[in-house]
Amino acid sequence: MISVEDLRTCVRNGIDFVKSQKDIADVEIFASWNEHITVRLNYTSDILCNGVQEPKSTQVNGIGLFAVFKTGKEIKVGFGSVSNTMSPKGVAEAFQKAKRNKIHDPDFKSLPESAGKPVLENYHDPAVMDISDETIVDLGWRGLKGALTEFNQKYFDKSIIIGGDITIRKERMAIASTKGIDDFDESTILTANMTAMVEKEKVKGAGWNTSTHVSQFNPEEAGHESAESAIKTIGGERISSGTYNVIFGRQPLTDLFINIIIPALSLSSVNASDTPFLGKLGKKIASDLLTVYDDGIIKGAIGSKKISCEGIPTGRTDLIHQGLLVGFLSNNYLSKKLGNVFATFIPRNGFRYSKGIRSHTVQPRICPTNIIIESKEKVDSRTLLSKINDGIYIGRIWYTYPINGLAAGDFTSTIIADSYLVKGGKIVKPLRPNTVRINSNIMDILHNIIAVSKDTKQTIVWGGEEVVIAPEIAVQGVKLDNIAGFIT
Amino acid sequence: MLAGEMSAWGFYGQTLGEDESNAKSIYKTLTLGINKAYARAVANANKKAEFKLIAPSLTGVNLAKIDICSDTVHATFDEDPRDVLLKNILALCTSTSRDMRSVSKDVRYTYIDIQTGISRELFCSTEGACIDQSCTLTQGLVTVVAQKAGGIPEVCNDYVGGLRGWEVLKGKNVYKQPFDVFALLRTRETLELIESEFLPATSEPVVVVTNPHFNALLVHEIVGHPAEADRALKLETAYAGRSWLFRDFQDNELGKQIASSLLTAYSDPAMDGYGHYKYDMEGTPAKRVNIIENGIFKGFMNGREYAEVLNQSPNGSMRATESELVPLVRMTNTVFANGNKPPGEIIAEVKEGYYIVNHRTPSISESRENFRISAQKVYQIENGKITGLYRQGGITADSKDFFMNIDAVGNDFEIFPVPNCGKGQPMQIMRVGNGGPTLRSKARLTGRKEL
Repeated sequence: MISVEDLRTCVRNGIDFVKSQKDIADVEIFASWNEHITVRLNYTSDILCNGVQEPKSTQVNGIGLFAVFKTGKEIKVGFGSVSNTMSPKGVAEAFQKAKRNKIHDPDFKSLPESAGKPVLENYHDPAVMDISDETIVDLGWRGLKGALTEFNQKYFDKSIIIGGDITIRKERMAIASTKGIDDFDESTILTANMTAMVEKEKVKGAGWNTSTHVSQFNPEEAGHESAESAIKTIGGERISSGTYNVIFGRQPLTDLFINIIIPALSLSSVNASDTPFLGKLGKKIASDLLTVYDDGIIKGAIGSKKISCEGIPTGRTDLIHQGLLVGFLSNNYLSKKLGNVFATFIPRNGFRYSKGIRSHTVQPRICPTNIIIESKEKVDSRTLLSKINDGIYIGRIWYTYPINGLAAGDFTSTIIADSYLVKGGKIVKPLRPNTVRINSNIMDILHNIIAVSKDTKQTIVWGGEEVVIAPEIAVQGVKLDNIAGFIT
Repeated sequence: MLAGEMSAWGFYGQTLGEDESNAKSIYKTLTLGINKAYARAVANANKKAEFKLIAPSLTGVNLAKIDICSDTVHATFDEDPRDVLLKNILALCTSTSRDMRSVSKDVRYTYIDIQTGISRELFCSTEGACIDQSCTLTQGLVTVVAQKAGGIPEVCNDYVGGLRGWEVLKGKNVYKQPFDVFALLRTRETLELIESEFLPATSEPVVVVTNPHFNALLVHEIVGHPAEADRALKLETAYAGRSWLFRDFQDNELGKQIASSLLTAYSDPAMDGYGHYKYDMEGTPAKRVNIIENGIFKGFMNGREYAEVLNQSPNGSMRATESELVPLVRMTNTVFANGNKPPGEIIAEVKEGYYIVNHRTPSISESRENFRISAQKVYQIENGKITGLYRQGGITADSKDFFMNIDAVGNDFEIFPVPNCGKGQPMQIMRVGNGGPTLRSKARLTGRKEL
């Protein structure tokens, strides 16, 4: 483990070293140490198994250096990185790589400047930083116990599958530059993401739990929730193809945001002309019931950070306000390239996430912190159901992709679990999993929102690094197709 | 590491760097890793024994026996990546991008990514294995976005690649084209598409002829992933799903007909392609796996632990993206086998149908029993002739229906690089090879409007 003090010493001394080199106009040095721990779960009642498949971790640290070279009037920029060292020799090697890689980039304007004081301080859990191997393993078994206990209490002991993982992320970073940035960040994240099945009944349930502190982390709850949800959906029915009013639960809403809406709300998609929101800043793109923003300073939320990986304090970035497109997520590079063209963007979202960590090996791309979805008129769950009256409650979807490119907005996905038929504003029967494919367009979904729930929950999905503080939303007129006729 | 009375896994991974540049520091890192993995394995084994009372299917890990090998595998190349000057790579990137932009004002964005290099892995085990394996990889990615003023943009992403040296980008690749020529071809095709009509969707299946590039993604999603033994044994239930080929030991497709007798599919790490290697990351010699033989499902790709559970022989399909990550069952070069009909003849026999050209994006059901895959281009076939070009279309079908309806298999086999296959937690992005010949079957068309 490398301390914050060592990371800060590395970047500060590195700046002193590099700025004394020939032709250097500016330099930025990022150093990080990360540990990503995963306890993978696999319990199968009818197949020999391990329960906890394996507790595992990867530890990554190193230096990323971005230098601006000036020879006469010519400006060139270069990036270099080295792994597993914080030494002056490591800084020199990263610098040599940046020098060797340097190139003229007409879109590069300048490095990020110091911008205000961060809001979050000391929001990580030292107990997570020092967590023992025994405790890591125990968290995994606690998740399994939650699901097993629920199944046992309801007399299910055959055809059971319990899977998922407990993930712990420990992150430390420091950054310094010749533009006055000199700061650090330290964060801890714990997530339990669990799936339970009674396979012969063709039902699957999901449960999850998140925290920044181990004392508040409850993997049993995720296990219990997943088993309970699977049992509740036994006896599901098919529906015929058609257009339905639906409620997207928290997981499907998060899936839609992670795979389609958030990428479309990033300046990188604007830069690539690949977003359905191109040219729509200030215009109506959704029902006026919808407000969306990114907020990195919510204490206790797992997407929160003190500073971005460019050293900029995190904060709130409004994206959609009562149906109007009011902003895009941005980093320094694209905010300066596109900022003067049609609007001003505060570059709060330049993060170096790679393989789930704040990585020294990559330059900042645009990533959200916590995405908040809310409405000017929030309703309770009962009212939400009454808004669709007859329709489908969709609790879990899978493989959601913009099938014809992001800009076209077309997407497809299958409903795999946790879903129900709604009649007269009440949940009446479960929906049979894996028998319905959603075929729709994201612009239609956004415009056809008719209600947003009051209650929200931090939600994560497999394969996504983003966190969505998600309500449930009611949408009218969603095209659903009956598929896989051989599933009885 | 496997340890404990009721043996269990424990794992530790760390990237290496400057600080491990001598034997003493490598030893220090290895000692740390071994101690961590051991502590985790023992803690895990103890808990497993404790939980056995309420979870009777828990068992100690058993690994199927393999030949223990010592070997050195050298990287293959004509032009050594280490001799390619970085300035030449930069020059190819920038000149290709510039040339693509200059084709038309409707080209809104281009992105080029080129890499060439050699990776080297050392695998040792307490069983006595010692395998030093090197691999060359050279790859070029093209992204182009084209848009007419006020229109919907069209996006194309495609790769040229091979497990060889710089010669791959000079034309030694599946397209037999230098990388810059390939990039311009994709640019012109994308521009052609923005002038085209949107494909109308159909509510009933129609005759479709799918080309080798499209079939690369089809075999990847519908055959390759479901034939990975860890999915069959439910380890991916919470992530990328289960397998339509195996529900349980009593109810599965092993030995049953799942496709037309014209269809054969296999996975072969010995053949040239992105999924080529000699030993997997458990030290098992990699073997060809016949997945579908003349329409009959034959078996899974596996690793030692899963082979033992399934009572099969290990076939060396365990790979991790990097050495610090846990190996998973991964498809290798997974393909539809070549047939004997010229593709021109397959199209000429179609009175009314559609020619589905080059894959784009997949969306697959939970056990891959149903799919929707979009195509880069769709052409109408009328009286055996290719006529109109459509954009933003694709096909959807139940997997078994599609396979059973195959009535022609082409003799134009090709294998393509697929560098971005995601699996596991944390997500690992793996290189695999996928391909096949032209196929003809039936599926519903997907598009932007109903026919």
